[in-house]
Amino acid sequence: MRIFSVSHKTAFVVDHCPYMAESSRQLIECDMLTKSRSQGVIPLAPVSKSLWTCAIECSMEYCRILYDVYPTKKLVNYIVSDSEVHILNSWKQENQNTQELMTALAAVGPPNPRQDPECCSVLHGLVAAVESLCKITEYQHESRTTLMDTADRVANRGRIICLTNAKSDTHVRMLEDCVLETIQEQNKRAAGSDRLMPIQQCELVLVHIYPQGEETLVSDRQKKELSSVLSSEVHSVRAGRYLAGKLNVLVQQHFDLASTTITNIPMKEEQHANTSANYDVELLHHRDAHIEFIKSAQPSFHCMNGLKETVTLKWCTPRTNSVELHYCTGAYRISPVDVNSRPSSCLTNFLLNGRSVLLEQPRKSGSKVISHMLSSHGGEIFLHVLNSTRSTLEDPPSISEGCGGRVTDYRITDFGEFMRENRLTPFPESMVDAACRTPVERAKFQLERHTRYWPMIISQTTIFNMQAVVPLANLIVKDTLTDEDVLTCQKTVYNLVDMERKSDPLPISTAGSRGKGPKRDEQYRIMWNELETLVKAHVGTSERHQRVLDCISACRSKPPEEEERKKRGRKREDKEDKTEKNGKDTEEKGWTTDSERLKGVMEREKDEQSECEIIKDSPDSPEPLNKKPRLATEEQQPPEKSKGPVSLLTLWTNRITQANSRKHQEFAGRLSSVNSKAELYQHLKEENGMDVHENGKATR
Amino acid sequence: MPTVVLLDSSLSMTRPVSVEGSEEFQRKNLAVHGLTMLFEHMATNYRLEFTSLVAFSSLWELLVPFSRDYNTLQEALNNLEDYDKTCLEAALQGVSNVVQQEWGTSCPCQVVLVTDGALGIGRGSLRHSLQTVKQRVDDKKFPLPFPFPSKLYVMCIANAEELQATDSMDNLEQLINLNGGEGQIYTMEGPLCLKSVQSMFGKLIDQAYSPFHAVLRCGNLTSDVQVFPRPEPVTIDEEVDPIPKTVQTEGDEIGTGATDDTEEETSTNQMAGKSPNFCVLLHGSLKVEGMVALVQLGPDWFGMLYSQADSKKKSNLMMSLFDPGSEPLPWLGRMSQLGPASDAAENPYGEDDSKSPFPIQPKHKRSYAQNVTVWIKASGLQTDVQKILRNAKKLPEKTQTFYKELNRLRKAALAFGFWELLKSVAELLERECTLLPDSAHPDAAFQLSHAAQQLKLASSGDSKYAAFEQNITPMLTDFSGGGGADRI
Repeated sequence: MRIFSVSHKTAFVVDHCPYMAESSRQLIECDMLTKSRSQGVIPLAPVSKSLWTCAIECSMEYCRILYDVYPTKKLVNYIVSDSEVHILNSWKQENQNTQELMTALAAVGPPNPRQDPECCSVLHGLVAAVESLCKITEYQHESRTTLMDTADRVANRGRIICLTNAKSDTHVRMLEDCVLETIQEQNKRAAGSDRLMPIQQCELVLVHIYPQGEETLVSDRQKKELSSVLSSEVHSVRAGRYLAGKLNVLVQQHFDLASTTITNIPMKEEQHANTSANYDVELLHHRDAHIEFIKSAQPSFHCMNGLKETVTLKWCTPRTNSVELHYCTGAYRISPVDVNSRPSSCLTNFLLNGRSVLLEQPRKSGSKVISHMLSSHGGEIFLHVLNSTRSTLEDPPSISEGCGGRVTDYRITDFGEFMRENRLTPFPESMVDAACRTPVERAKFQLERHTRYWPMIISQTTIFNMQAVVPLANLIVKDTLTDEDVLTCQKTVYNLVDMERKSDPLPISTAGSRGKGPKRDEQYRIMWNELETLVKAHVGTSERHQRVLDCISACRSKPPEEEERKKRGRKREDKEDKTEKNGKDTEEKGWTTDSERLKGVMEREKDEQSECEIIKDSPDSPEPLNKKPRLATEEQQPPEKSKGPVSLLTLWTNRITQANSRKHQEFAGRLSSVNSKAELYQHLKEENGMDVHENGKATR
Repeated sequence: MPTVVLLDSSLSMTRPVSVEGSEEFQRKNLAVHGLTMLFEHMATNYRLEFTSLVAFSSLWELLVPFSRDYNTLQEALNNLEDYDKTCLEAALQGVSNVVQQEWGTSCPCQVVLVTDGALGIGRGSLRHSLQTVKQRVDDKKFPLPFPFPSKLYVMCIANAEELQATDSMDNLEQLINLNGGEGQIYTMEGPLCLKSVQSMFGKLIDQAYSPFHAVLRCGNLTSDVQVFPRPEPVTIDEEVDPIPKTVQTEGDEIGTGATDDTEEETSTNQMAGKSPNFCVLLHGSLKVEGMVALVQLGPDWFGMLYSQADSKKKSNLMMSLFDPGSEPLPWLGRMSQLGPASDAAENPYGEDDSKSPFPIQPKHKRSYAQNVTVWIKASGLQTDVQKILRNAKKLPEKTQTFYKELNRLRKAALAFGFWELLKSVAELLERECTLLPDSAHPDAAFQLSHAAQQLKLASSGDSKYAAFEQNITPMLTDFSGGGGADRI
């Protein structure tokens, strides 16, 4: 349905003239005496509703169904007419609910039979309804504002439902003429106003209500175009349940509704709690929920009372352990036809309490076909349409057959944690932050920050596998850091320095690399590099983020340049040179100030010294030959020699290698390699500076 | 979206085409050549789509039911036999049945009709069908428009001039119009040869079978994805917003909270299987955590990503598209108002993950959730009166419930202008009062006459007593200490 169709605005005009106080002559016995007490008591006379009461309760029922199925964008303006006009609400969305209308109706009260009939007329109301239809609704206003140049696409259409007691067909004609004239008049006025819109199309629905047992003075008439703008139809209906039935049919027609009857609902009997009987409940909803039936014209349509069409679906008693998933292709709000009957309220309460009910098509034979499901979300019940035929989504390939499907060490748990930290929550409409970003933009911005450095697999990262890094990693992605946060980050760094001093093992992955993986000091170098990469990604966020990076630069054991020096200047093994070289390298890098560099250098010296000491003392220090003070390892020693007794495998491998090496020319890379490692793309480094080592991976 | 290939295998399809070269071709050979090309394209780029093959002449036959097995389709194509005359209407009816039986009426389908444009003569010819299209009775309706959303592509193994020489082109155009304009006619350009049939099917492939590639993005983590079936453009309101919305190829994953997904293309490259892919990571975590991710498909268009498992061990990332709009799921609220939970003053999910900000409750409860009063049926009114009387008999224990029911009735009667009822119920209560047994609690009589009096006052319409918001409160008596304090 188009948003600005005739159904966008409905004006109810209810006649409040003295004749509406007349009785509908439908008697209701409300003194239902129980047998045991009936002796000697004269029952009270039955009550009967006035025409006014009938009109009000049926129109309220129309609104109830409308608001249940369309809580927004379908608006009602309720007008009562006697010697003057009482407009009970406005087009505003906040006025659209039955409680408010009921309150206003109570204030109006029933028609006063003693009022002068001469000055009372429903005409006042009809004129007011036309004026009201010209008023722009908030939705029309919003659309016009957003469409700008094409604002003329926003149409102004509406419907007037007039509940009255007319004198004759001529009287009806007079009412129609009056509406037509008023529209023409008002359209002229509206053309020159910003807050008014001319009416492009108006449907007038005149409902003539007359008491039971009387002959009608007005004849029914089908919808007829009175002009290009106005069409009109006349319904002549007896008060009471006939009127209720008529308005029920009208609300379905006006708002594209359809009816579904849930059958076979097992309910405990009120009187006998241990027995149960089956009940039916009729629901109204948008007719798209029946699209499958309508298109294929299935025979599950049944006529009830010979009057209305309803689709019957069978209740399937829910199984608690049911994990069947169904493809849902649509969800439609419902409204029970008989809202406060016991079966209806049992069903709706069952659903509001969070249970769901599958609905099955009644079939005489064949397998059972489940086509719908009833379930509530946030206090609203929806009829869900389920795909009951074969799905094109069946048998999808496994994700492991696709790109990246063979990788086994994804950081699934970490990403789960990441998702939980990035969960969404609704914010009030007015919540806009300083930069005028909507909440959803803020959410995207947060995702961007949190993913600046986020390795997807475990073997790609060291720091995210270390508990010790967690406080820093959680804080550094934040938009703003407090001084306390910076302190926490610094503590994390000191803690890492401490770990390195103690030579605690690091969770470095050995996957992919041959042998035992990198040595301990190499591991720490990789870890520091990675930590720097993480923090560098956020360094532009604020000055405090910069301070975290400064801290790392100052504290980390060896800057990456050193390793470079190892490769490039391997031959010149000059200890005296070392301090000077460190200093020079840091300067090249240019991310520390002079004083910090000095401090860093000094600390490093200190670290190195203490490292030596600690390692000597440590009972669990690893193989002494390997883990001698670093200065010693740097002497170029063939790895075989440092390993002590040679294994049989090594002997064999060496022999084979030697034999093989005679048969081919050695690779240039291997010839110039250090510890069997050759640096790749050396020329790039010369061109681009030092950044090739980001992850400590370039050394392979 | 599934495809039905409807192949003309009437005798006219065996007409030879004049070729300069050595081999002599029939039109049928050209058709088969074009379809082979289509099947090959689908086997490579669209292998998750279902295709079926129907051959027709005066009768029709389902050669291959909907399948992803393109070898079977190709084989059936190669073993095609020749039959008699063309009778398109019956064949289209057949297609309609085949599709509805398999997929129902809501699944969109593409129908590729391959014909030489000789559409039959006399009864059963397309010309005859179209002439009588308006005179059908209900059970003999022309099969177009198809009851399911569809596109009808007509591939003519003939060139436009040839078709325009007869009324074939007009008839085919009428056919597309009957299908609501959904579809297109393709003709061959230049001489009928393999090359021109290739170029014609190439156009169809570009139009209807181009794969949907997109980038799934979550901040700086991205993945190239292909989506099956291809999301089609949607028009929401042809009046206010007549331009169809299309899915942007840059999918932004904006956060998690529910479900979501995208399916991604499997690469033939073995290496690709070994380099980490964000989709696999996302899928794994969504599955383990039982979460869904929201994905933005365009301005004011969203969907969700989630792990979808079939009955076996296989699972994949699935994407469901919501209706375009700012508030596709009422219980999530306006999409643009969803922001990071960490921005909230208090964690809306609770410190121990025990809460959730969803579903959002609507401002006003629906009628079925708020105990409304409806007296359209006499039984509704009678039940409400009975409730009051039942409680009246159990005064003073049921004082609270008694007044609650009484006030509910009073409010409704005032709103409906049903003052007569108030008087009547007042009389009933007065009579109850006279019928009280000797053993009754003295408070009962006081409350009943108080209630009756208040109802009578309200029924006078006197604004002092008939105010809607006002309630009748229990009378304070010397005895009411116990009665007034009972709980419902």
